[in-house]
Amino acid sequence: MDPFSLGYLAAGLGAGLCVLGAALGIGRLAGAALEGSARQPEAAGDIRTTMIIAAALIEGATFFGLIVCILMAIK
Amino acid sequence: MRTVAFFALALVAFAGSASPASAAGEDGELDAVHHTSDGYYLDFSPLPIGRGGKLELPRLFLVRRADGSLGFDAFGSSTAAVLSGRYVIGAHGDGDGAHSPAAHAADPYAEDALAQEIAEERPDPNGLTVEELSETNAEEILGETAEPEAAYDAPIEAAGGAEILIDLSISRHLVFILLTIVILLLLFLPLAGKYKKGVGRTSAPRGLLQNMLETLVIYVRDEIARPNLGAKTYKYLPYLLTVFFFILVANLAGLVPFGATATANITVTAVLALFTFFVTQLAGTKDYWMHILWPPGIPWFVKPILVPIEIMGLFTKPFALAVRLFANMTAGHLVILNLIGLIFIVGGMSATAGYATSVPAIGLTLFVYALELLVAFIQAYVFTILSALFIGMATAEHEHDHDHAEDHGLTPHGAAVSESNGQAHHKEHDRTVGSEAVMA
Repeated sequence: MDPFSLGYLAAGLGAGLCVLGAALGIGRLAGAALEGSARQPEAAGDIRTTMIIAAALIEGATFFGLIVCILMAIK
Repeated sequence: MRTVAFFALALVAFAGSASPASAAGEDGELDAVHHTSDGYYLDFSPLPIGRGGKLELPRLFLVRRADGSLGFDAFGSSTAAVLSGRYVIGAHGDGDGAHSPAAHAADPYAEDALAQEIAEERPDPNGLTVEELSETNAEEILGETAEPEAAYDAPIEAAGGAEILIDLSISRHLVFILLTIVILLLLFLPLAGKYKKGVGRTSAPRGLLQNMLETLVIYVRDEIARPNLGAKTYKYLPYLLTVFFFILVANLAGLVPFGATATANITVTAVLALFTFFVTQLAGTKDYWMHILWPPGIPWFVKPILVPIEIMGLFTKPFALAVRLFANMTAGHLVILNLIGLIFIVGGMSATAGYATSVPAIGLTLFVYALELLVAFIQAYVFTILSALFIGMATAEHEHDHDHAEDHGLTPHGAAVSESNGQAHHKEHDRTVGSEAVMA
């Protein structure tokens, strides 16, 4: 197996791992947010805003990883 | 009723234009990758605009000539630049440019010809590099030969000892930035005039456009700016509104046919993030700088560790802003591209399977397209709210800071859950926010 194919393998595995991490993070976040707004419906708006910000931060970190993977695959 | 009729008409028009598009696809001229990347032409592929559906854009070069003098060259198109003889298509990996007739006409004795000779000297197919091998594989699967590079698709270099100092060419993304600016001016200047005359201030807003845009403007003011900026809302609201609508329109421009997404270009998002960076730093109060350079309320031995982290945190925030927007816009297009590409990959193996694949692939594409519509709004929102957050953190005073700190306190926990390369960054972010909480 030559280094190039190992690189492609790494890109694929890396992308999968990135998405796995993000899915876990956003899943827990959304679960907690839902629980919070179910307990306190009057705070639902605030919770949604903070949830979106946190989701964006998680997503940002994921995209760092994904971009590394994409660069590995196409360069 | 009129709208329904309009949509029906648009559908018929689209169906009419779609048949040449599929024909072009079978020729192996599927030019979809270039939708996400920048280029020096506008792609109107099914329509007979420009040459072969590609309208080339002007190339402007600031060059240092062979005799050392500075010069400025302007050409109507990349092809014109190459045909003038002063520019050649640059060597591009395996010397594809040598097959281009334009390159032959321009400079037959350039490096490209050499590269071709080298390639011809290697008859053994096992001697191919991995890239060439994968390329031949792709050709077999897709049933198409590699296209000769056209002038507008290749890197262009100056010929005869000259050197391009600055490439000021009008690229596709630049065209769409300018288009976005024009759309924004056309939308908002009449609107501003209306408010100056009192429509919407003393009376209810009138007309579809004013009602629609006022909703968005009010949303940005009340949901994005005010919770983060408090008393300083109106000082920074113009910037936040500009950023919000620019990103929104630029994102949506990428979703219309023949469009390109300017925000899928890292330089564009980097410049936007740089604006936020400068606004944040210029807005920074004495407290803000003190908390970065000499955070109070912390044991002395932590300070040497904390201060560099705080300073790095200054730069990682805009960097994350830029990468987030760029990656989101690129990723959506890439997913659509992959789904469409699936049809052709499967179709290359067997035609029936290709037709069978197209049904789920197009269904999924429509789904992702709708998702992208959502993402276009969410990313504009996220960029704006994070900008407001950063500016709010920099301008926060001791008294009215309590709400903020609670808001901020939530973010690092969410972020810490994600486990990827951004860990170091998030640690710094945690630190920044942590000291913010201490400040409160």
